[in-house]
Amino acid sequence: MAKVSSSGSTKKKKNKKNKSSLNVSKSLTMKSKVQQENPFESIWSRRKFNILGKKRKDEERRRVGLSRSLSVQKRQKTLLKEYEQSTKSSVFMDKRIGEQNEDLEEFHKALLRSQRERKLKLNKKSKFNLSDGEEDDFETEDNANFLGSDDYEDEEPFNEDDARQSFASEKELNNMGQLDPHGAEYDAESKTIEENRRKSKKEVMEDIILKSKFFKAQKAKEKEESEQLTEQLDKDFTSLLQSQALLSLTQPNKMGALKALVNRSTSNDDGNIVETSSGQKNISFQQEQPDSYVKLLGEMALEIRARPSDRTKAPEEIAQEEKELLEHLEEERQKRMTAADNPSDEDADTSEDDVESDKQPKHVSGDDLGDSFSHDVKSKPKAGWIHEVLRKENTSDLESEDGTSSEESEDDDEGSAEGSDDNHDKDEQSQSIKDWEQSDDENIDANFEDDEESEDYADEEEDEALVDMIDQKKSSESRGEQNIGSRSQEARTNLKEDLHQPVELPYTIEAPKSFLELCALLENRADEQIVEAIRRIRTFNAITVAAENRKKMQVFYGVLLQYFAVLANKKPLNFKLLTMLVKPLIEMSSETPYFAAICARERLLRTRSQFCEDVKNTGKSCWPSLKTLFLLRLWSMIFPCSDFRHAVMTPAILLMSEYLMRCPIISGRDVATGSFLCSMLLSVSRQSNKFCPEAITFIESMLMMALSNKNACQDSQLHHLMEVKALKPWLRLQGHVEEINSLDFLMLMDLPDDCAYFGSDNFRVSVLFTILATLKGFVNIFEGFKSFPEIFLPVSKLLLQLAEQDHIPDALMVEIKDAVQHIKSKSQETYLLRQPLRWRKQKIIKTEVPKFEDNFVKGRDYDPDRERAERKKMRKRLKQEAKGAVRELRKDNYFLLEVKEKNKARMEEEKAERHGKTRAFLQEQEHAFKSGQLGKNKKRRR
Amino acid sequence: MAGKKRYLLKNKRDPAEYRPDIAFQAIQYILDSRVNKIGRLKALYVKTQQGILFQIKPHARLPRTYKRFSGLMVQLLQKLHITASGKGEKLLRVIKNPVTQYLPIKSRKIGFSHSSEKLVKMHDYVGTVNSELDLVFVVGAMAHGKIDKDYVEDYVSISSFPLSAVYCLSIITNALEQKWDIL
Repeated sequence: MAKVSSSGSTKKKKNKKNKSSLNVSKSLTMKSKVQQENPFESIWSRRKFNILGKKRKDEERRRVGLSRSLSVQKRQKTLLKEYEQSTKSSVFMDKRIGEQNEDLEEFHKALLRSQRERKLKLNKKSKFNLSDGEEDDFETEDNANFLGSDDYEDEEPFNEDDARQSFASEKELNNMGQLDPHGAEYDAESKTIEENRRKSKKEVMEDIILKSKFFKAQKAKEKEESEQLTEQLDKDFTSLLQSQALLSLTQPNKMGALKALVNRSTSNDDGNIVETSSGQKNISFQQEQPDSYVKLLGEMALEIRARPSDRTKAPEEIAQEEKELLEHLEEERQKRMTAADNPSDEDADTSEDDVESDKQPKHVSGDDLGDSFSHDVKSKPKAGWIHEVLRKENTSDLESEDGTSSEESEDDDEGSAEGSDDNHDKDEQSQSIKDWEQSDDENIDANFEDDEESEDYADEEEDEALVDMIDQKKSSESRGEQNIGSRSQEARTNLKEDLHQPVELPYTIEAPKSFLELCALLENRADEQIVEAIRRIRTFNAITVAAENRKKMQVFYGVLLQYFAVLANKKPLNFKLLTMLVKPLIEMSSETPYFAAICARERLLRTRSQFCEDVKNTGKSCWPSLKTLFLLRLWSMIFPCSDFRHAVMTPAILLMSEYLMRCPIISGRDVATGSFLCSMLLSVSRQSNKFCPEAITFIESMLMMALSNKNACQDSQLHHLMEVKALKPWLRLQGHVEEINSLDFLMLMDLPDDCAYFGSDNFRVSVLFTILATLKGFVNIFEGFKSFPEIFLPVSKLLLQLAEQDHIPDALMVEIKDAVQHIKSKSQETYLLRQPLRWRKQKIIKTEVPKFEDNFVKGRDYDPDRERAERKKMRKRLKQEAKGAVRELRKDNYFLLEVKEKNKARMEEEKAERHGKTRAFLQEQEHAFKSGQLGKNKKRRR
Repeated sequence: MAGKKRYLLKNKRDPAEYRPDIAFQAIQYILDSRVNKIGRLKALYVKTQQGILFQIKPHARLPRTYKRFSGLMVQLLQKLHITASGKGEKLLRVIKNPVTQYLPIKSRKIGFSHSSEKLVKMHDYVGTVNSELDLVFVVGAMAHGKIDKDYVEDYVSISSFPLSAVYCLSIITNALEQKWDIL
């Protein structure tokens, strides 16, 4: 107790409460004190932790001893009484007023009893009883109290009435007040006056009239509002019309109508404003306006009509049409040949026109075909029919010859078909194809300077420039030159061409089945004619036209590829034709991609095996020939370079890398070829970002070659490189070079090995320049690599050494510095991006959210399911109650037992006492008898 | 906080003794540290001024606001444990004293006290401890006073200035992160 008071001493409120709560117990203890001082009652149950600011509720229960004695008292009053009564047949009941109530004191009990008496007296029966003087006195005492209660009772109904009245009047005001104050007032008055009375007939009528008036007013109001709205709309519309927005949207002639409409409507509006007072006109206006508006709307709707356009043709249909056109043209040509032959220069001239007109239908729709054709008919060339006939015979022969073998082989799957085809071709012209590599080299030595075309492109033939140029050619040049450039050239070189090839191309050409056929077809043709022939073959045998054309075209593709290869190997290199062939080849390989890939793979395989052979006998130069280079370049254009793994490009890249790795650099031309391969690798790996270390190593070794001996072999790694490649200082500069010329690769390839040009400083500087350019390209490609510094820092070291050399021209110096700077900055960046060493793989632990309530109250169930919580609570209470009941019953039993024991003990005691008494008496008797004093000497003491 | 202070004063308590905010900051800091994120914090025990000891599982995500944290603590001290939402795992629980029965057997118990004579560089000090031993750090998260536990083997001072609990913890965690190469 002391502890509690000390903890709550600062809080007055709490103290007070404590006191008040303790009051009862105190009074009780007082009582018990009177009876007996029980020391156990002062024992309090203590708390383990004293929680600041927490109130202890029902603290008296915590006083264990006190509560026990209280319960005992209660039992004594109830259970004990019942127990005592249980054996009795009748009860004495105390029915005095207030006697049963424990709380009342004697004075209050007396008060209650007197009140009861008074009430009995005030009953109607006793009203007429004359009172005694004493009772009168009593009455005056309590009168005030009675009066007070009377007053209150009277007041209540009055108040109620008042409230009801005011409430009713308010309600009515609310209902009707806004509309007609007079009526409402009147109504309210009438209501207030005759509240409870039923309404008379007149009043009902009035009510109805009032209501109808109200609705009318409302209707009028609505009408007014809608009118205002339409006016507003009209105004908006006119303003919109004057603005530019609508003007731009509508057509000018419509505009006039719109304006007229608006004018009329506005005038109407004006009129309306005047007439609105009458109100009736309003309706007519409303009817008029939609009329014109609807008319306008209808016109606008009719204005633009979609027309169905012609169906876009499917590619098959277009191909079919083109083929038909060719056939038609051929027919015409044949007719012309048989009819009249008046070959002249003009005809030859027009034959070229014909080539043009053939192309026209590509662009012109099929409907115009007849007209243009009829125009052409007049000026059809007739020359070359003999040749044509010869060719026809030739082809037919060849067809019959080859038809059996090649077609049979084609019946197998495509791969084998291709292989057999190639073999077949080989058989036919073994000489030209089998040893093309060797013959190539020999030819180069023989004649190297009579290629006009290559000179035309000389400027662009710089290694990297070449790559780009061919790229362009793929798209623009091959097409443009075929269409426009060729035509303009034709006009120029018409006569010349006519002289040595007056032959006219047939319009319908069967796809050649062998290389010989193709050669026969394209022999002595101008470049443009060759391309045109290929185009006609392709249109005539289009895959989309007939299914069997696929096989034909596949054979033709193989043949054409062979033609390309042979052409690349020819000594007076016809570079222009080569570039022109690129376009059809690309298109055809997109038509038969699988076959094209197989062709390419086959060729690659053969080239590689040949290369391996060459490398074995060390004396020979094993660098790729021009043909191989061209083919590689062609495939890099045909097949996607961006694929990470490709059936053709991957082996192609590997082959190029192998060349760079394994071929020894013997001559100056090898240097040029290697750098060309490097640049090709660069262009190939640009898209796929594939790392080819061979190219970098090659560039490194080239740079090494440029260094002078004394500082060359410092790095062990590079030293190793030197040993493997047996590098000679092919690129070391001896003299001063003024300007850097770009290299013409084709020309270089034609030069002999021991040409003086390869030894010149000019050549060396240019090679260095191109190598640097390639290196820069690689730096740009690989700058995203994690191992960038490791790849390029040795190169930059080499470059720095190179910069220290004598005789380095300024332009080259600038390039070197630039490259070194770039490499340095890039490697710095990658160093920064590298992650530092770590303890182990990062793995964040899984966290979990604790579940708790914001305002936690002990004992409350925070189960979200209310029902379950409720049930739980009830069950708990039930258990508690049951326990309590059991406890009470047990305690009752103990109590009764105790009482019984006590009774028994008392009885025993009594019995023993009585027994003792009797015994004592008997003993005395016996003693007296024995002593012989029986009856005598009774009062004698011992 | 002002209201709380007034209340404490009214009840004749020293407000300096009731600083759950320091504990909040410290616990938050420890649980946010990279040492914990990587899973190298094995256990976290908190002892209150009244001597109630409770354990916080390192993967518990405690509330970020002080208000919610105090709500959590109220519930913890009344219910004696807090479970994870969804699962029945006990994330926080009040446990029996003394704390030594929960500490690993092979461990180095390091106490931090500004009053200690041993002024060390924390990084070097952590490096000298045998790596086979587990590390137990005892940091006082209170306004005044010092930790005075007999189980602490080594009292060190890591700064010539008296540090706040959170800053002290930052030095400890940084040293450990450097030692273990946690990034």
